[in-house]
Amino acid sequence: MDRRKFIGVSVAAVAALIAPVTDLKAVDFRATTPKAFAAEHVPEAIKEMFGTGGLKQTDKIKFTAPKLAENGGSIPVTIESDLDLESIAIFQDANPRSTTAVFTVPSGAIINYEFRIKLRKTAVVTIVAKGRDGVLYTTSKEIDVSIGGCGG
Amino acid sequence: MANMKIKAKEKDGIVGVKAMFTSVMADKEEAEKKKIVSEYIAQIIAKNNGVVVFEVTASGFMSENPLFKFSYKGKVGDTLEITTTDNSGKTETGTEKVS
Repeated sequence: MDRRKFIGVSVAAVAALIAPVTDLKAVDFRATTPKAFAAEHVPEAIKEMFGTGGLKQTDKIKFTAPKLAENGGSIPVTIESDLDLESIAIFQDANPRSTTAVFTVPSGAIINYEFRIKLRKTAVVTIVAKGRDGVLYTTSKEIDVSIGGCGG
Repeated sequence: MANMKIKAKEKDGIVGVKAMFTSVMADKEEAEKKKIVSEYIAQIIAKNNGVVVFEVTASGFMSENPLFKFSYKGKVGDTLEITTTDNSGKTETGTEKVS
């Protein structure tokens, strides 16, 4: 085997070895963008998480949440989208820190997430999603909270 | 098996998953108020036959005993494995066969 070919084969072998590892080792946003999880305000958190790129308002991300939540400790939220997204983050202004959750979307996955969040008071909840093309999409909704959750 | 309830049902090639975890999900401020130790699930990863299908970095601002619903393309007989990591680094794993 000549040298060039040998290098090519070993590079492929190493890549094959690394690939499953990176697949198993998930993206921990708390480790990669710790500042985003410490940010107290939504714009600051978005900046830390996704950079300063412009946000594009979209209706292609369906964000369902109740208009009025009686119990701020458990507010059901649904995110649905047909867009090819890389990550989806949810931010709010009611709690001590803004970043609530960040989803990493595996390629080809179906984006249909339902979960529950806590809000201390009435607040605007913002979703920012990064497409695989690098475009930042955003959508937001105000949720009225009558009894604050999160120990508030 | 961990304190985790998983349901995975297949329909038309799409597996719908409901997963419930046990955690007080108390962030620093809330833990101080309730005089407990701050504890929340920091990360949840779901794998179908070893392939990551769902992944979230969570925070203490999600509800107590969080319930997640998500779906992915899969089939009956697949093995779904969900791993959670809490803020102190403790991990819990639960598995469920897709039905």
